[in-house]
Amino acid sequence: MTDDIMPGAVHDRKGVVLDPRTKLLLLLMISVFSWSSIGGRAGWIILPVITLIPVILLYFSRKWKGAVISTLLFLAVNLISYTDLNKLSGGVYYIILMIVGIFGRLMPCIIMAYYLVYTTTVSEFVAAMEKMHVSEKITIPFSVIFRFFPTVREQMHFIKDAMDMRGIKIGGKHSSKYIEYRLIPLMICSVKTGDELSAASLTRCLGGSVRRTNICKIGFGFPDYVIILILIASVAASVIVRLV
Amino acid sequence: MIEFKNVSFSYSNDGSANGGGCLKNIDLKINKGEAVVLSGESGCGKTTITRLINGLIPYYYEGTLTGDIIINGKNSRDMSLYDISKNTGSVFQNPRSQFFNVDTDSELAFSCENQGMPVEEIKRRIKETVELFGIQRLMHRSIFDMSGGEKQIIACAAVSVADPDIIVLDEPSSNLDMRATAELKKCIRIWKSQKKTIIIAEHRLRYLSDIADRVFYIREGRIENSFTFDELREKSFEELKSLGLRPVTDDQFKKAGNAVSESQNGLTLKNFAFAYKRSAPVLKIEECSIPFGQITAVIGNNGAGKSTFSRCLCGLVKKCKGIAEYNDNTLKRRDRLKKSFMVMQDVNNQLFTESVLDEVMISMEEEKNDKAIEILRSLDLEELSDRHPASLSGGQKQRCAIACAIASNKEIMIFDEPTSGLDLRHMYEVADNIRFVNSDDRCIIVVSHDLELILSCCTYVVRLEKGEVIEHYPLDSNGIGRLVDFFEEPFRSSSKDVS
Repeated sequence: MTDDIMPGAVHDRKGVVLDPRTKLLLLLMISVFSWSSIGGRAGWIILPVITLIPVILLYFSRKWKGAVISTLLFLAVNLISYTDLNKLSGGVYYIILMIVGIFGRLMPCIIMAYYLVYTTTVSEFVAAMEKMHVSEKITIPFSVIFRFFPTVREQMHFIKDAMDMRGIKIGGKHSSKYIEYRLIPLMICSVKTGDELSAASLTRCLGGSVRRTNICKIGFGFPDYVIILILIASVAASVIVRLV
Repeated sequence: MIEFKNVSFSYSNDGSANGGGCLKNIDLKINKGEAVVLSGESGCGKTTITRLINGLIPYYYEGTLTGDIIINGKNSRDMSLYDISKNTGSVFQNPRSQFFNVDTDSELAFSCENQGMPVEEIKRRIKETVELFGIQRLMHRSIFDMSGGEKQIIACAAVSVADPDIIVLDEPSSNLDMRATAELKKCIRIWKSQKKTIIIAEHRLRYLSDIADRVFYIREGRIENSFTFDELREKSFEELKSLGLRPVTDDQFKKAGNAVSESQNGLTLKNFAFAYKRSAPVLKIEECSIPFGQITAVIGNNGAGKSTFSRCLCGLVKKCKGIAEYNDNTLKRRDRLKKSFMVMQDVNNQLFTESVLDEVMISMEEEKNDKAIEILRSLDLEELSDRHPASLSGGQKQRCAIACAIASNKEIMIFDEPTSGLDLRHMYEVADNIRFVNSDDRCIIVVSHDLELILSCCTYVVRLEKGEVIEHYPLDSNGIGRLVDFFEEPFRSSSKDVS
């Protein structure tokens, strides 16, 4: 038996591994830059640059499908917002402007959140929160999110099958209730799963008064420093642009 | 040692001893190192007993509790849920909802981490457990990529890492196939050799027959009977059935079974093939015939391609180009989607509307109220027609799904693991439902690893392995022998491994 079976959760994973704290910081910065005007006149270049970070990281984590989709979204939003739309007639122009305006702001956050959820394990997240001295009362509920999305995705798959068999689809019969029919079974199952999950966690000693330990080691490495530098540079750039 | 002293419990707060799962004056003594099985109908209270032992009652599920539960000399009232959990490990029924983590390594460490053990100690324990259980191949994996059986083994290993004296299992095998059940049996055998006290609430008795010491039969909240397995082995199939217990030995199984009728017509499947990108085919059936007017069981271990087979047959898999032929009709994928209906393992996923009646109505070509009521009446659901589907019991939900299938005039009906986790009476109820829909112009397929269910309603068997049909036979007395042998096989090889 070599060190190979030893848990540590991180070292065996391929590609670039970031500290969860870096990912959280990146998520925060991307959200701030896309939803506020903090970037000032430099905002138009800062936002695409930092959005590109999770897009590239997805390739390094070998999440090919997510990587390709986010690249396409990224290109689409940026190309449209830099083309001259004035030639279009009034109505269409405003609709496209609105879609790009809203989606262009949402897209960076969605890509980053996707990267965060699908490349972080629960114990890495908990370890990161512990290092930041965040209370367990906050950490534990949030950590369930990492389980929640994959579970929901599994469930959606079954529900779609069931709807296909009953001939309910967009454009088919009952299409007005399509969303309702998709969400109701999902909600019922989520509640049940949540209940069972809480019970199971409690029997695994969660919620004791003892201080938790964590076998998962996290820490900053070279890629973390590069990203943090880029973020510092972005903030610096937006401050300088204001002052000049 | 665990001792129940005149324990009564009800999930309602007013103290009335009504409703499912309540207990009445239970006196019970389980010695250290003993393995006991709690059996009985769903809602009889056996899960409640396991919850009283692992502390989820009264600390998580609320209700009215009287009497005392003494665990290793301490009254459970004087302990917190955390104190109880330190010494009690639990394995639950649903492999999908008992993991806090998304990766196996963290899950194994989870309980010890919560107890604040030093990291080095946890790593040592994990290493030991991984070797003991022989699960190197399951480490460093995402729990979402694992089969139900693998998940259940990880749940057992996670309990072992924390090394409690008492282990409680609540219907651990109900979602597992035979091979996975044999793996589960190995885990229980390891605990038994470590002198752990093991309490298993379970319907399937056979896999426990050479490990467990005693069986308690619980009925309406009371312990009605207790047996040793030797006593059960002596009994005939009919005696067990009248006691509400599932069979224990091969011979008792062979007494079950159905009359087989001949049928002429068949559904012929051609070129059913499917593979995920860049991997070996999951399904490759060149030609296969499924009789009409009979109930066909599709068996095979996990990964044999059973669920892909049923999804392809229903026309849910776009990439599967196979066709089905019957009576000179050729059914392509889209035709099959219109002609077939699958009653899913988790029926909750296929009931969408606000009432049972609506559910049936949306399935009909033309929505006719009186026709819908008629179908509901035939399935004993008429008085439930205004109820919300989510409020029904498991068997009623299944009947509701069947009603939709009948309403939509589907000719091919597939039941995907319809009895996972059901007790004997409800299993027979499902068997009745399946027999009810059987007719000469329907093709009924039951995908299952429940031997008792297959014996009590099916008349034809198709066995898949590695995506191919390797045998098919009518379930006459000869066929029953073959079937029972197939289900017994994994246990024979696993008992060799241990000895």
